[in-house]
Amino acid sequence: MRNSLARILSTIVMFVACATTHAAVETVVGKPAPAFELPVLGSESRHIALESQRGKVVLLDFWASWCGPCRQSFPLYEKLHGELPAQDFTLLAINLDEMADGPAAFLFEHPVSYTSLADPAGDVAKKFGLVGMPTSFVIDRDGIVHSRHTGFKPQDIDALRSEIRGLIAGSTDGRQADAH
Amino acid sequence: MRIKFGTAARVILVSAALLGGCATTPVQPWERGRLARWDMRWDPDPLQTAMREHTHFSKEGSNGEIGAAGGGCGCN
Repeated sequence: MRNSLARILSTIVMFVACATTHAAVETVVGKPAPAFELPVLGSESRHIALESQRGKVVLLDFWASWCGPCRQSFPLYEKLHGELPAQDFTLLAINLDEMADGPAAFLFEHPVSYTSLADPAGDVAKKFGLVGMPTSFVIDRDGIVHSRHTGFKPQDIDALRSEIRGLIAGSTDGRQADAH
Repeated sequence: MRIKFGTAARVILVSAALLGGCATTPVQPWERGRLARWDMRWDPDPLQTAMREHTHFSKEGSNGEIGAAGGGCGCN
Protein backbone atom coordinates (compact mmCIF):
# COMPACT_ATOMS: atom_id res chain seq x y z
CA MET A 1 0.00 0.00 0.00
CA ARG A 2 2.73 2.39 1.06
CA ASN A 3 4.86 1.35 -1.90
CA SER A 4 1.98 2.05 -4.25
CA LEU A 5 1.46 5.46 -2.70
CA ALA A 6 5.15 6.23 -3.02
CA ARG A 7 5.03 5.22 -6.70
CA ILE A 8 2.02 7.42 -7.31
CA LEU A 9 3.71 10.35 -5.59
CA SER A 10 6.91 9.78 -7.60
CA THR A 11 4.87 9.81 -10.79
CA ILE A 12 3.30 13.11 -9.74
CA VAL A 13 6.78 14.54 -9.16
CA MET A 14 7.89 13.52 -12.66
CA PHE A 15 4.81 14.99 -14.29
CA VAL A 16 5.13 18.23 -12.37
CA ALA A 17 8.78 18.48 -13.40
CA CYS A 18 7.77 18.15 -17.04
CA ALA A 19 4.84 20.51 -16.73
CA THR A 20 4.43 23.17 -19.34
CA THR A 21 1.34 25.16 -19.97
CA HIS A 22 0.02 24.97 -23.47
CA ALA A 23 -2.74 27.48 -23.96
CA ALA A 24 -5.12 26.31 -26.62
CA VAL A 25 -4.75 28.47 -29.70
CA GLU A 26 -8.16 29.48 -30.88
CA THR A 27 -8.33 30.34 -34.53
CA VAL A 28 -9.73 33.70 -35.49
CA VAL A 29 -10.39 32.65 -39.09
CA GLY A 30 -14.04 33.10 -40.01
CA LYS A 31 -14.66 35.35 -37.00
CA PRO A 32 -14.63 39.13 -36.59
CA ALA A 33 -11.05 40.34 -36.33
CA PRO A 34 -10.13 41.29 -32.74
CA ALA A 35 -10.31 45.06 -32.35
CA PHE A 36 -7.14 46.98 -31.56
CA GLU A 37 -5.63 50.41 -31.65
CA LEU A 38 -1.84 50.70 -31.78
CA PRO A 39 0.72 53.49 -32.08
CA VAL A 40 2.46 53.99 -35.40
CA LEU A 41 6.02 52.71 -35.20
CA GLY A 42 8.38 55.63 -34.62
CA SER A 43 5.55 58.08 -34.00
CA GLU A 44 4.02 57.10 -30.68
CA SER A 45 1.55 60.00 -30.65
CA ARG A 46 -0.28 58.75 -33.76
CA HIS A 47 -2.53 55.73 -33.36
CA ILE A 48 -4.38 53.61 -35.89
CA ALA A 49 -7.37 51.41 -35.07
CA LEU A 50 -8.28 48.40 -37.17
CA GLU A 51 -11.87 49.60 -37.00
CA SER A 52 -10.90 52.68 -39.02
CA GLN A 53 -10.10 50.43 -42.00
CA ARG A 54 -13.59 48.89 -42.14
CA GLY A 55 -14.83 48.77 -45.73
CA LYS A 56 -11.39 47.90 -47.08
CA VAL A 57 -9.67 44.56 -47.43
CA VAL A 58 -6.83 44.53 -44.89
CA LEU A 59 -3.64 42.51 -44.96
CA LEU A 60 -2.33 42.45 -41.41
CA ASP A 61 1.30 41.36 -41.25
CA PHE A 62 2.98 40.58 -37.94
CA TRP A 63 6.75 40.95 -38.25
CA ALA A 64 9.95 41.45 -36.27
CA SER A 65 13.43 42.60 -37.21
CA TRP A 66 14.92 39.25 -36.21
CA CYS A 67 12.51 37.27 -38.40
CA GLY A 68 14.34 35.84 -41.41
CA PRO A 69 11.36 35.34 -43.78
CA CYS A 70 10.27 38.96 -43.13
CA ARG A 71 13.29 40.05 -45.18
CA GLN A 72 11.74 38.24 -48.13
CA SER A 73 8.17 39.32 -47.47
CA PHE A 74 8.77 43.06 -47.15
CA PRO A 75 9.82 43.80 -50.77
CA LEU A 76 6.99 41.61 -52.08
CA TYR A 77 4.39 43.17 -49.78
CA GLU A 78 5.61 46.60 -50.85
CA LYS A 79 5.02 45.64 -54.48
CA LEU A 80 1.57 44.28 -53.62
CA HIS A 81 0.76 47.47 -51.73
CA GLY A 82 1.64 49.51 -54.81
CA GLU A 83 -0.39 47.31 -57.14
CA LEU A 84 -3.74 47.35 -55.37
CA PRO A 85 -6.05 50.38 -55.15
CA ALA A 86 -5.71 52.29 -51.87
CA GLN A 87 -9.47 52.87 -51.61
CA ASP A 88 -10.04 49.10 -51.48
CA PHE A 89 -6.96 47.74 -49.77
CA THR A 90 -4.76 48.52 -46.76
CA LEU A 91 -1.62 46.81 -45.67
CA LEU A 92 -0.93 47.20 -41.97
CA ALA A 93 2.24 45.76 -40.53
CA ILE A 94 2.54 45.14 -36.80
CA ASN A 95 6.04 45.08 -35.39
CA LEU A 96 6.62 42.80 -32.41
CA ASP A 97 10.20 43.71 -31.48
CA GLU A 98 10.69 43.90 -27.74
CA MET A 99 13.86 45.97 -28.19
CA ALA A 100 13.45 49.40 -29.75
CA ASP A 101 16.62 49.46 -31.88
CA GLY A 102 15.71 46.56 -34.19
CA PRO A 103 12.85 47.89 -36.35
CA ALA A 104 14.58 51.10 -37.46
CA ALA A 105 17.62 49.24 -38.79
CA PHE A 106 15.37 46.70 -40.51
CA LEU A 107 13.25 49.39 -42.17
CA PHE A 108 16.40 51.21 -43.29
CA GLU A 109 17.46 48.03 -45.11
CA HIS A 110 13.96 47.17 -46.30
CA PRO A 111 12.12 50.46 -46.80
CA VAL A 112 8.37 50.23 -47.35
CA SER A 113 5.64 52.81 -47.91
CA TYR A 114 2.96 51.05 -45.85
CA THR A 115 2.41 51.71 -42.17
CA SER A 116 3.95 49.70 -39.37
CA LEU A 117 2.39 49.74 -35.92
CA ALA A 118 4.19 48.88 -32.70
CA ASP A 119 3.08 46.06 -30.40
CA PRO A 120 6.20 45.36 -28.29
CA ALA A 121 4.25 43.54 -25.57
CA GLY A 122 2.58 41.24 -28.13
CA ASP A 123 -0.94 42.02 -26.85
CA VAL A 124 -2.48 42.10 -30.33
CA ALA A 125 -0.42 39.09 -31.42
CA LYS A 126 -1.93 37.19 -28.50
CA LYS A 127 -5.44 38.20 -29.50
CA PHE A 128 -4.84 36.88 -33.01
CA GLY A 129 -3.33 33.62 -31.67
CA LEU A 130 -0.01 33.70 -33.51
CA VAL A 131 1.82 30.40 -33.66
CA GLY A 132 4.79 31.45 -35.77
CA MET A 133 6.63 34.36 -37.31
CA PRO A 134 5.80 35.97 -39.60
CA THR A 135 2.04 35.56 -39.67
CA SER A 136 -0.36 37.51 -41.83
CA PHE A 137 -4.13 37.73 -41.79
CA VAL A 138 -6.43 38.72 -44.62
CA ILE A 139 -9.46 40.59 -43.30
CA ASP A 140 -12.42 41.25 -45.54
CA ARG A 141 -14.40 44.47 -45.97
CA ASP A 142 -16.77 43.48 -43.14
CA GLY A 143 -13.94 42.95 -40.66
CA ILE A 144 -14.11 39.14 -40.79
CA VAL A 145 -10.79 37.28 -40.80
CA HIS A 146 -10.70 35.49 -44.15
CA SER A 147 -7.45 33.57 -43.75
CA ARG A 148 -4.28 33.20 -41.79
CA HIS A 149 -0.84 32.59 -43.34
CA THR A 150 1.90 31.40 -41.04
CA GLY A 151 5.45 31.74 -42.34
CA PHE A 152 6.37 33.23 -45.69
CA LYS A 153 7.90 31.94 -48.90
CA PRO A 154 8.26 34.17 -51.99
CA GLN A 155 5.94 31.89 -53.98
CA ASP A 156 3.14 32.57 -51.44
CA ILE A 157 2.64 36.07 -52.77
CA ASP A 158 0.73 34.99 -55.89
CA ALA A 159 -1.92 33.09 -53.94
CA LEU A 160 -2.19 35.99 -51.52
CA ARG A 161 -2.61 38.47 -54.37
CA SER A 162 -5.37 36.35 -55.93
CA GLU A 163 -7.12 36.01 -52.59
CA ILE A 164 -7.04 39.74 -51.93
CA ARG A 165 -8.13 40.59 -55.48
CA GLY A 166 -11.03 38.18 -55.07
CA LEU A 167 -12.11 39.88 -51.85
CA ILE A 168 -11.79 43.33 -53.40
CA ALA A 169 -13.99 42.13 -56.26
CA GLY A 170 -16.54 41.01 -53.68
CA SER A 171 -16.00 37.27 -53.80
CA THR A 172 -16.04 35.48 -50.45
CA ASP A 173 -15.61 32.09 -52.06
CA GLY A 174 -12.65 29.93 -51.21
CA ARG A 175 -12.49 30.87 -47.56
CA GLN A 176 -9.34 29.17 -46.49
CA ALA A 177 -8.47 27.35 -43.38
CA ASP A 178 -5.23 28.36 -41.76
CA ALA A 179 -2.50 28.22 -44.35
CA HIS A 180 1.00 27.29 -43.28
CA MET B 1 18.26 0.87 5.71
CA ARG B 2 14.53 1.39 5.77
CA ILE B 3 13.22 4.80 4.89
CA LYS B 4 10.11 5.78 6.78
CA PHE B 5 7.06 6.30 4.67
CA GLY B 6 6.37 9.73 6.17
CA THR B 7 9.90 10.89 5.38
CA ALA B 8 9.70 9.58 1.81
CA ALA B 9 6.33 11.25 1.26
CA ARG B 10 7.67 14.56 2.60
CA VAL B 11 10.77 14.38 0.38
CA ILE B 12 8.63 13.62 -2.65
CA LEU B 13 6.15 16.40 -1.94
CA VAL B 14 8.89 18.96 -1.32
CA SER B 15 10.63 17.84 -4.54
CA ALA B 16 7.33 18.19 -6.40
CA ALA B 17 6.89 21.70 -5.07
CA LEU B 18 10.47 22.68 -5.95
CA LEU B 19 10.42 21.13 -9.42
CA GLY B 20 6.98 22.62 -10.05
CA GLY B 21 8.62 26.00 -9.68
CA CYS B 22 10.73 25.13 -12.71
CA ALA B 23 7.68 24.49 -14.88
CA THR B 24 7.83 26.75 -17.89
CA THR B 25 5.41 28.37 -20.21
CA PRO B 26 6.38 28.06 -23.88
CA VAL B 27 8.15 31.01 -25.45
CA GLN B 28 5.64 32.76 -27.68
CA PRO B 29 6.52 33.42 -31.34
CA TRP B 30 6.86 37.16 -30.67
CA GLU B 31 9.13 36.62 -27.67
CA ARG B 32 12.00 35.10 -29.62
CA GLY B 33 13.91 38.30 -30.28
CA ARG B 34 16.63 37.63 -27.71
CA LEU B 35 16.83 33.96 -28.63
CA ALA B 36 17.34 34.95 -32.29
CA ARG B 37 20.42 37.07 -31.50
CA TRP B 38 23.62 35.81 -33.19
CA ASP B 39 25.40 35.52 -29.85
CA MET B 40 22.70 33.13 -28.60
CA ARG B 41 23.66 30.59 -31.26
CA TRP B 42 25.37 27.37 -30.29
CA ASP B 43 28.20 28.34 -32.63
CA PRO B 44 28.06 32.11 -33.18
CA ASP B 45 31.00 32.18 -35.61
CA PRO B 46 31.30 28.96 -37.67
CA LEU B 47 34.28 30.30 -39.68
CA GLN B 48 36.29 31.02 -36.56
CA THR B 49 35.37 27.59 -35.17
CA ALA B 50 36.52 25.89 -38.39
CA MET B 51 39.87 27.73 -38.28
CA ARG B 52 40.43 26.87 -34.62
CA GLU B 53 39.56 23.24 -35.24
CA HIS B 54 41.92 23.07 -38.21
CA THR B 55 44.80 24.22 -36.04
CA HIS B 56 43.70 22.03 -33.15
CA PHE B 57 43.48 18.92 -35.34
CA SER B 58 46.94 19.53 -36.76
CA LYS B 59 48.58 20.14 -33.42
CA GLU B 60 46.67 17.81 -31.15
CA GLY B 61 45.41 15.12 -33.55
CA SER B 62 48.14 12.69 -32.49
CA ASN B 63 46.67 12.62 -29.00
CA GLY B 64 43.82 10.61 -30.47
CA GLU B 65 41.11 12.73 -28.92
CA ILE B 66 39.71 13.98 -32.18
CA GLY B 67 40.05 12.66 -35.70
CA ALA B 68 43.12 11.06 -37.23
CA ALA B 69 46.60 11.11 -35.78
CA GLY B 70 48.99 13.63 -37.24
CA GLY B 71 51.12 16.59 -36.48
CA GLY B 72 52.21 19.86 -37.89
CA CYS B 73 51.80 23.54 -37.66
CA GLY B 74 48.18 23.79 -38.97
CA CYS B 75 49.32 26.31 -41.53
CA ASN B 76 47.92 24.56 -44.63
